[in-house]
Amino acid sequence: MNLTGEGLQPSEFAVTAARAVADCAALSLREQAKHLANDGLLGVIAAQDVGGLDLPLAFAVPVVAAAGSGLLGFPLMEALLLGRALQASLPRAAEAVVAGEMLATIAWQGSVSAEREAESVVLNGWVGRAACAEEADALLVRIGNCAALVPTDSEGVIVEEATGLDLTVPEHTVRLQGVTIPATSGLPESSWDVLCSDASVLRAAAILGSAEACLTLAQEHASTRRQFGRALSYNQAIRHALARQKLGLEGIRHAITRSVGDEAGALQRDAAFLAAGVYGSAISEGALQIHGGMGFTWDVPLHRHLRRVRALQAQGDASATLAALGRRYVGAIAAADAAVSG
Amino acid sequence: MTVIETAQPEAATTGALSGEAYRVAMRRWLGANLPASFRSDHAAFSPPTLQQSIAWEAAMYRAGLAGITWPQAYGGHGRTLREHLIANQEIGALAMPESVNSIGKELAGPIILAVGTEEQKRRFLPAILEMRDIWCQGFSEPEAGSDLAGLRTRATRNGDTWRINGQKIWTSGAYRAQRCLVLARTGPLEDRHRGLAMFAVRLDAKGVRVRPIKSIDGRESFCEVFFDDVEVLQSDALGAPDEGWTAAIRVLEIERATNRMYRSWRFENELRHLISACKSDPVLAQMVAERHYEARLGEIVVDIEVLKAHVETAVDALANGDSIGARGSLAKLHWSEAHQRFAALALELLAQASLPPLAAVQLARRRFEAIYLQARAETIYAGTTEIQLGIIADRILQLSKGK
Repeated sequence: MNLTGEGLQPSEFAVTAARAVADCAALSLREQAKHLANDGLLGVIAAQDVGGLDLPLAFAVPVVAAAGSGLLGFPLMEALLLGRALQASLPRAAEAVVAGEMLATIAWQGSVSAEREAESVVLNGWVGRAACAEEADALLVRIGNCAALVPTDSEGVIVEEATGLDLTVPEHTVRLQGVTIPATSGLPESSWDVLCSDASVLRAAAILGSAEACLTLAQEHASTRRQFGRALSYNQAIRHALARQKLGLEGIRHAITRSVGDEAGALQRDAAFLAAGVYGSAISEGALQIHGGMGFTWDVPLHRHLRRVRALQAQGDASATLAALGRRYVGAIAAADAAVSG
Repeated sequence: MTVIETAQPEAATTGALSGEAYRVAMRRWLGANLPASFRSDHAAFSPPTLQQSIAWEAAMYRAGLAGITWPQAYGGHGRTLREHLIANQEIGALAMPESVNSIGKELAGPIILAVGTEEQKRRFLPAILEMRDIWCQGFSEPEAGSDLAGLRTRATRNGDTWRINGQKIWTSGAYRAQRCLVLARTGPLEDRHRGLAMFAVRLDAKGVRVRPIKSIDGRESFCEVFFDDVEVLQSDALGAPDEGWTAAIRVLEIERATNRMYRSWRFENELRHLISACKSDPVLAQMVAERHYEARLGEIVVDIEVLKAHVETAVDALANGDSIGARGSLAKLHWSEAHQRFAALALELLAQASLPPLAAVQLARRRFEAIYLQARAETIYAGTTEIQLGIIADRILQLSKGK
């Protein structure tokens, strides 16, 4: 494999990822970590020094999309991001994550306070929306604009179950009560913002995978289910509903492509995530509607996708992200001269 | 008009530029030459007359901003589609009047390039770019709107001469056009799509009558056009019957994805204008800083980003030699509905401005009231929303229609 990314295409990872995700269905979380690591999927964007492939973020997109489509029950986005986020300051931890030896996750909501005591830092506070925190070995928590990696078996770490729609990758709330970690466990300044920005793209990718799976199911159902002597897809109301879902799906796909382009910035990344949230929930809700009563049952996987999409939207704090995007946009534009515009 | 005089020498100097240097050159030219009175976000705005529009567009062409991808042999600039995108991004960034000859440049021209004879290409294409010939599109009829295969206008051949009889409607700009791209039937009505042929009909020909229709915005922008035994020479027939139409369908698919490529960048210009006007008003300035409107303006920003993404991926696909197929319907559906959402939000915001109304708010109101009304047509023309949804269902999703 060419490790520099030259000649490699992100789409080439889609097939490997889809197969690996399917293989993971019957495995425990730790077995999944090893399996995904063996296929090189946990270190796609991490440096070669820590066992990664050192590829651009665009290469993680099809991997995370395949995980979404296949309802992978593993915090893959977190592992991918941590492999790279930790590589400079905590290379051994990064290496362990990339090798599938350490289960690490990220608490996306909340921030803890940190007090320096000699060579240590004492952490206090609540964090939330931490995928699979109950089984994880380590948890990345936010401290202002930085973050620190906390072993979950540290004294004072209390992992609590949290309500949440997602059954595939359950989220937890974590209380840190005087947790002491080495000062060297901290990440550099502004590392949190970088993490969130990359997460926007990957959440959009996960939603893309789910949305694509939902639309495929809806299309199949509409073509095979017969009512009034005809396939459902004979009816214009059904055809147009599916066409709108397709428009949304391609909107997500193209917005992601744009968000990893050469000239993309925070705006494009947020837009990809926000578009994915809006279209992705409409697609999964719409697919459920087209399935009628069957869509409302546990037997059809649509509800799992719908749950994931809504959980990802909340995890990325879509509503606040949208308002912040609007605020930045409005803030960057000067007032017109009230009397003489132009 | 200063436009015409200042526009001459630039074209020659931009020939060798590419990428960002090309963008900068186009931006500089537009900045230096677009009259303030043409800018609907400028206090000096006053809609250009037809003659002013013609002069401006001819100047744009000479500066390299029209016929960008057309071959040089026919007056084009022979540039790539990506450069066409760059130029359009710059055109979109300014509040500029819409082209009075977009049918010529974006519909008739590409069709002639695809099916025209060498003689037709040399005769018609430079005249379009130099704005000597303004074109209109004679496709829709009273009985054939969305369903063009049902059109009844008839063309009968006698030696080297065709005679056209029938009626067209919704023919935008027919009153100002020199040529009409007429789609007519050469065989029986039952033939549907077969036997359709295209003609470049002179609107000053004997037997052509144009009647303007007053539209929602108070303007007389589209027309009915009547053809009463109009003589058209074979040299003005575009492609053979059947073949012409089939080729036109392919061109139309590409056009749907690429026409007015500046659109999303123009929407952005409109959004920036709206926000700057709001920020000049004490009441609105406070409102756009509240979370409710931050989020709603944020939704418009996301809509525009998604539209740009549709356009850029279409350009990439075409530049890589992929066929565009029905994908143009996706972009058309998105932009037409997104623009309506945006225009409604703009009206809602501007309606809440303080008293006495400030000049900057008045200017924005004039612009957005027009945009709001015109946007009602955007989900109708170039294939209604319902037609686009049908195309996506039939051709992209390939949903079964059978029993």
